[in-house]
Amino acid sequence: MGIFKAISGGLGTTFRKPRLVVILYVVNLAFALAAAAPFLAIVQKELGHSLAGLSVQPVDPMWIGEAVLGYGRAFPALLAGFVVLGLLYLVLHVFLNGGIVGRLLDREAPASLAAFSADCGRLFWRYVRLFLLSLVFYALTLGVVLKLVSVLFRPISDGAVTEWTPLILSNIHLLIALLLLSVVHMIVDYARIAVVADEERRVLKALRHALTFLKARFFRAWALYLLLVLGTLAGAAVFYAVLKPLGAPGVGLVVAGFFWMQIYVVFRIWTRTLFIAAQAEFYRSHPY
Amino acid sequence: MTAKRTASFCLAALAALAVLPAAAAAQTPPAPVAGAPGLRYEIWVELDPAAKMLLGREEIVWTNPTRDAVPDMLLHLYWNAFKNEASAFMREAAAEAGDRAAVDPQDDGWGWIDVTDIRLADGSDLKPAFAYVNPDGPETAGDQTVARVLFPTPVRPGESVRLRIEFKAKAPRTVARSGYYKDSFFLGQWYPKPGVYEEGKGWNCHAYHRSSEFFADFADFVVHITVPKGYVVGSSGKAGESRADDSARTTTTTYRQAMVHDFAWMADPRYLKIERDFIADREVTASEYRETADLLGLPVEEVRLPDVKMTLLIAPEHKGQIERHFRALRAAIKYYGLWYGPYPYETVTMVDPPYRTGSGGMEYPTLFTAGTRVLANRDVLDPEGVIVHEFGHGYWYGLAANNEFEAAWLDEGFNTYSTGRVMARAYGPGAIPLVFKGIPLSSVLRVPKIFDFETSRVAAIHAVRTDPVTAWSWEFFDSMSYSMNVYMRAATLLGTLENLLGDPLWSRIMRTYHMRFRFRHPTKADFVAVVNEISGRDMTWFFDELLEGTQAFDYGVESLASVEVPARLRGVFDKDGAREVWTDEKIEVVEDAAAKSPGSGPPARSYRTTVALKRYGEARLGGDAKVEVVVRFADGSAETRTWDGRDRWTRLEFVKPVKAVSAQIDPRGVWLIDENLANNSRSTDGLRRNVVKLMTRFLFGVQCVLQFFGSWS
Ligand SMILES: [Zn+2]
Repeated sequence: MGIFKAISGGLGTTFRKPRLVVILYVVNLAFALAAAAPFLAIVQKELGHSLAGLSVQPVDPMWIGEAVLGYGRAFPALLAGFVVLGLLYLVLHVFLNGGIVGRLLDREAPASLAAFSADCGRLFWRYVRLFLLSLVFYALTLGVVLKLVSVLFRPISDGAVTEWTPLILSNIHLLIALLLLSVVHMIVDYARIAVVADEERRVLKALRHALTFLKARFFRAWALYLLLVLGTLAGAAVFYAVLKPLGAPGVGLVVAGFFWMQIYVVFRIWTRTLFIAAQAEFYRSHPY
Repeated sequence: MTAKRTASFCLAALAALAVLPAAAAAQTPPAPVAGAPGLRYEIWVELDPAAKMLLGREEIVWTNPTRDAVPDMLLHLYWNAFKNEASAFMREAAAEAGDRAAVDPQDDGWGWIDVTDIRLADGSDLKPAFAYVNPDGPETAGDQTVARVLFPTPVRPGESVRLRIEFKAKAPRTVARSGYYKDSFFLGQWYPKPGVYEEGKGWNCHAYHRSSEFFADFADFVVHITVPKGYVVGSSGKAGESRADDSARTTTTTYRQAMVHDFAWMADPRYLKIERDFIADREVTASEYRETADLLGLPVEEVRLPDVKMTLLIAPEHKGQIERHFRALRAAIKYYGLWYGPYPYETVTMVDPPYRTGSGGMEYPTLFTAGTRVLANRDVLDPEGVIVHEFGHGYWYGLAANNEFEAAWLDEGFNTYSTGRVMARAYGPGAIPLVFKGIPLSSVLRVPKIFDFETSRVAAIHAVRTDPVTAWSWEFFDSMSYSMNVYMRAATLLGTLENLLGDPLWSRIMRTYHMRFRFRHPTKADFVAVVNEISGRDMTWFFDELLEGTQAFDYGVESLASVEVPARLRGVFDKDGAREVWTDEKIEVVEDAAAKSPGSGPPARSYRTTVALKRYGEARLGGDAKVEVVVRFADGSAETRTWDGRDRWTRLEFVKPVKAVSAQIDPRGVWLIDENLANNSRSTDGLRRNVVKLMTRFLFGVQCVLQFFGSWS
């Protein structure tokens, strides 16, 4: 199967199951509201009744300076709360992944809530193990491979005659890091898919399936992945282009801006489901 | 500055208070730059790039300007700060970082300076009477940045002493301000330099500390610099005769400069050297001269600027930024010149610091270093800001030459403030620099643009509790507190003073202070005296409370409420010997009847508005200073009151036919140093458009972060 066919298949699947995106969006919004609440309360307390609230900007260095001074001591507690919520979100996301992948791979069946939750529960521990395994992979990629690259680059950078040399090297380093991350991310995605598609209970085995699959067609799979990344980036570019005029003063524009940002969050969530759906199409079209 | 001179200025200030409440800028005619002061240097120095060494011979003629018989001389040997880990510089750097590797002279690049021979002009050897000393006490034991030489007989008042010194100096590898990298050199503080002799007190000659700069007397310099052929040299002063030695493959050039207190240079075989002229008549219009003269209360002739020869030494990879460099320098020469006094030297040399020599953003007389990146953003005013700042040091440090060890705010604070003014005038606000992996992102991400005074204010409010602005440089809590207090808090306080005193007073104060203390060593007392003299007010409290103090300054509006004033009061009242009882019902009946009577409309209402003001910070207003409060009402009217701010709180009352909509303390934003501007006002309506926008953007940010992490789980 060609990668474009995989993408169009994936698109079809995600469009048939909008409920999945809704579930993820509601969870995202609820957690974001909880995490942002203390900050929003500070903003309201400090600026809600101050004339400074008339002129404050979304990124306002002067006001941020004041807020850091006033609330700096509360910052560790706020950060801790944020981290706890973030971790909870991560765990919940691992749980929801079961439902997402489960329902996306069950191409024709509707994404009923009952079936979704059944998948969440059924796949949870497998996905937890896979998540932990992926952490090891990321650590290896970032820690070992990038360290090696750094060591390789250092003598060149140390002997540089102008700023260009370290600038170029450090950007190459970043590019290598991003490409490596994309590869690991892709491998883990295929392992997630293999768990469901191959009804594989052991995640190591699922991972082996994914690796065997990728070994045979690595570049095509990677091209598919990078194409999806490109689509996501294009979406982000459109988002920011439209957001700019919405930043002008005006009550209507503030409301419009809010909805536009929420549409973008939905888009991002949807692209994530598209990654899974399209890669699942690709995976299932190449039985081995 | 001697105690005697300070006293005479205080007297002058008192006299001025009596007769001259709003004086014109009291112009002292500029001292001629040709005049040789009591110090002369002639130095022969040769650079050996392979060994990273300077070989030097120096002749110093010092004339004792005081009434003391001076038995010795203290000399700075600054490069010994980089000699080993026992130096004050290295120890303070390591202590602050909690890590001895904080300053690491890579490639074994320690720097040092040895005086190999020192004698009087008659040949008598002073080496046996030469020893390292620790003027800053036992904490700097082991430091070798100050040496003392004992004269065979004391130098009597008015007498001169001529010293012949031979020295060898090894350049440090990229530590601070001086250094080499490959075959590039930036050489500052490279020669033995006497401290400043203060009458009755002795030599003022501190060790080279981690957080400190320099202090020296005005002198005439003649410096003969020898470098390998092909090297491009930039130097303080004006280049004179040059001769090549073909057998040694070297070139020697002589540089001369009168009335400067330091001398720095650079050498690099790759550098581009570009010369331009600052032509005053092209840069300043007749109306600008007139406006300046009117503002300062001076004749136009006195504010005219001279032409200046500008030289830029720039790395080839920054060639595309040559025009940016010159534009900024022209703006600096123009505005510093118009505001504070004409630039008195013929030349100024601007150096794009050689790569990895750690020498960027540093000032020396008639020469300074800037600093840029290969990818420089147009919206970020860098290198412009650093060029304006370092040229500005030619005024604040170069000309009004305060002791940077003991009162760094007098140059860094004044100059940060002045840089902000020039940048605002010449460029407007600049984007906050945002660089990732050397790639400028400020334009792409549309980061906010802000003025320098705003950045300074944010730093100032964070620094106020840590140290007074006036502490000695190495006695600040850490280098962060040093820079935030000395640069930014001082600048914010000067900005506050500007707002408080207003023009033309403020401009005249700055002009007078600068011109009066050109080619001298002013102190805080000198500046306070000029402020009091020109303003005709006693502003001493401002410096005591806000510069010397470490208390936060924060005034605000605690509450705002408007309640209806009842037309009649309830209760039992004595009236004409009888008792009258007024209840709600009775009041209603009477009001209804009054409303229905022909010719009368609804009863007139009135509201009592109460505004509670608070002093949240410990710092207080003093002298005749007051803070303004404006209360705005629903009918568009406004009432302005003032408060002396001495107590913790005060309450203002207004009775008006309408309710108040807002109350604002310091509506004109005079008190830049106020640490919380959000509490400066209160309005009766809630949630505001921009606040909602801020909230939705923040929420969106959190959603994106969560979504990003979710996609890796
Ligand atoms: Zn400075």
